[in-house]
Amino acid sequence: MISPRLVCILAVPLASATAQRIDSVSPSASVERTIAIDERLAADAGLRIGDRVVLAAEPGAPRGDTVRIAAIVKRRPDPSEVARSDYRLRMHLDHLQRLASYGDRVDRFSLQTAPNAAVDSVVRRVNAGAFGFRAYRSRAIAVETSKTFLVVSRFHRAIGVITIVASATFLLCIMLLKVDERRRDVAAMRLMGVSRSTVVRSVMLESSFVALLGSLFGVGLGLVTAWFVNVHYQSVYRTPLRFAIVTPETVAISVALSLLLGIGAGALAARRLAGTAPLALFGR
Amino acid sequence: MRLHLAALSLRRHLSRTLLAGLGVAVSAAMLLDMVMLATGMRESFAGLLGRNGFTIRASPRGTLPFDSEATVGDAADAAAAIARVNGVTTVAPVLGATIHVLDADAPVTAFALGVDPSVQGDYELLAGQDPVSPNELVASDALLARLSKRVGDTVAVAVGFDPQLQTYAGRRRLVISGRARFLFLSAEDRAAALQLSTVQEMGGPGRRDRVSLFMVRTAPAADAEAARAAIEREVPRVTALSIAGAVAEAENRLSYFRQLAFILGAVSLIVGFLLVTTMVTVSVNERIGEIAVMRAIGVSRLHVVHQIVLEGVAISLAGAVVGLVLGVGTARYLNSILRGFPGLPDAIDFFLFQPESALRALSLLVLSGIAAGIYPAWRAASLPVAATLREEAVG
Repeated sequence: MISPRLVCILAVPLASATAQRIDSVSPSASVERTIAIDERLAADAGLRIGDRVVLAAEPGAPRGDTVRIAAIVKRRPDPSEVARSDYRLRMHLDHLQRLASYGDRVDRFSLQTAPNAAVDSVVRRVNAGAFGFRAYRSRAIAVETSKTFLVVSRFHRAIGVITIVASATFLLCIMLLKVDERRRDVAAMRLMGVSRSTVVRSVMLESSFVALLGSLFGVGLGLVTAWFVNVHYQSVYRTPLRFAIVTPETVAISVALSLLLGIGAGALAARRLAGTAPLALFGR
Repeated sequence: MRLHLAALSLRRHLSRTLLAGLGVAVSAAMLLDMVMLATGMRESFAGLLGRNGFTIRASPRGTLPFDSEATVGDAADAAAAIARVNGVTTVAPVLGATIHVLDADAPVTAFALGVDPSVQGDYELLAGQDPVSPNELVASDALLARLSKRVGDTVAVAVGFDPQLQTYAGRRRLVISGRARFLFLSAEDRAAALQLSTVQEMGGPGRRDRVSLFMVRTAPAADAEAARAAIEREVPRVTALSIAGAVAEAENRLSYFRQLAFILGAVSLIVGFLLVTTMVTVSVNERIGEIAVMRAIGVSRLHVVHQIVLEGVAISLAGAVVGLVLGVGTARYLNSILRGFPGLPDAIDFFLFQPESALRALSLLVLSGIAAGIYPAWRAASLPVAATLREEAVG
């Protein structure tokens, strides 16, 4: 199946105060052209299905086509459209070609192949006979167009690593200080005859518990933040796209990392405390 | 004396001090990076747009420059009307087109700009001369490399296809008169600049007297915003955008980065503050007996406060200095990642080091260090001396 596609900027004189919604114009008895508009345009211009608008290829053009809105289309959660604030409008191909004086031309053809067809071979054969155009596999186009998101993804990963380093240093510092605060308790335990290994284990257990509690609180905070980020950016960019997703893997990594750091810091500090003479811990 | 005592106190738990300093350094680096990210795009984008003194861009109504294939008709009339606007000194029309260079083994597609070489602001000449004759073009290094051509060579260029006849439309032989760097394109983009009339003629009736954009230069003393509004009034077919408007539009599209920078910068500052507060508080708690002794032998409260605040400031200051180096390094790395955006002009930087902004950010961190030391210092200074000494002695 072949589906030709033409994209063009049209002037739709309806967003201003003089919106030309001409409900009084009776539909042509013969052929009334219809269009579909996206929900953003419908919301901004206050348009509904059945409304009529005038389309022109250029702003201020003296003549235009009166068309009826037949559908309002939901915008897809497409990352490539996130930062774009333009409106989308769908028309019949021949209508747009005529309106834009584009002749018998299209921007691209989308080809649907049979499920078991050798797509590479089809692409080769099309290119062998092509003049003025070139066929690509959808996958190749996806790779090319997703370069922007690969860059953003790499940037996020780098920021993530820096954040992890910063929070790990913070966590390590806090845990060391927290354990260090226990020096008098440890000294008392040691003087009472509690073994070094028991002291180390108890301090490590305590730091693990603190790290676990902190990471669970962090997961909760992360979920709330992700919800807030999604609500905020979905409203800013007017898209159903989800910007922040907390996956089980993310939760597992963050809990594991904080536990590891907590236990590590606890072990480090506990060993140091257990290795110091109890009276020295008392400051004597 | 106070400084010496503070240094001694920090040195007593060296590993702890170093770790806290490292934590503050990472926070400072992050804060600096985020300040650079928040201001870098705006500054470098504004700098790029302001090159050559063009302060306004006028594109087909409802579009941003080169955001679509839309063009402005009756361009000569429109240019004349814009030139009459008060404060406007130069109008440079530009027409964008896709060209096919036919001299290589397979046709090479490139982006072409039709310009008036005497007033253009789209490229900087690196070698050779401007396309002063209708049969000349200047090309980017990427295009010359792909074609294996040099200045002085001749190439066959077309602007379209005739699928019925299987021939190229708008064919011409053009001499490469120069090498150029295109300011608004990336170094990898294959690009060429020709005379505006050449591109219009090659494009046939559909391109006659049409342009994609007018670049407008205003007098230094003129109000660019007033000129912008006047252009839209005089030529309703165009949308005029001043540098400030263009920067605002770009910031709107990239607001995500600015907000990310703000959030992460604030988090860094809070983390640095908490770290110093915790560090100094624990340090004070450990030395509570010493502080009581100092107070008992006549050391003033102010002296104690100064010493403790100095400890916090010292950690913050050392962290900020290390963070400055760390931050500049990570900013370079992060900038190199974001510079991988396809089609990004060479002049655009996401992270821009500006001494003033860096100083402001790091001063904020040091101020937070002072604030972090105030609570433990106040607590230490208001100790009941006798009770504390008795408690410390009894244990």
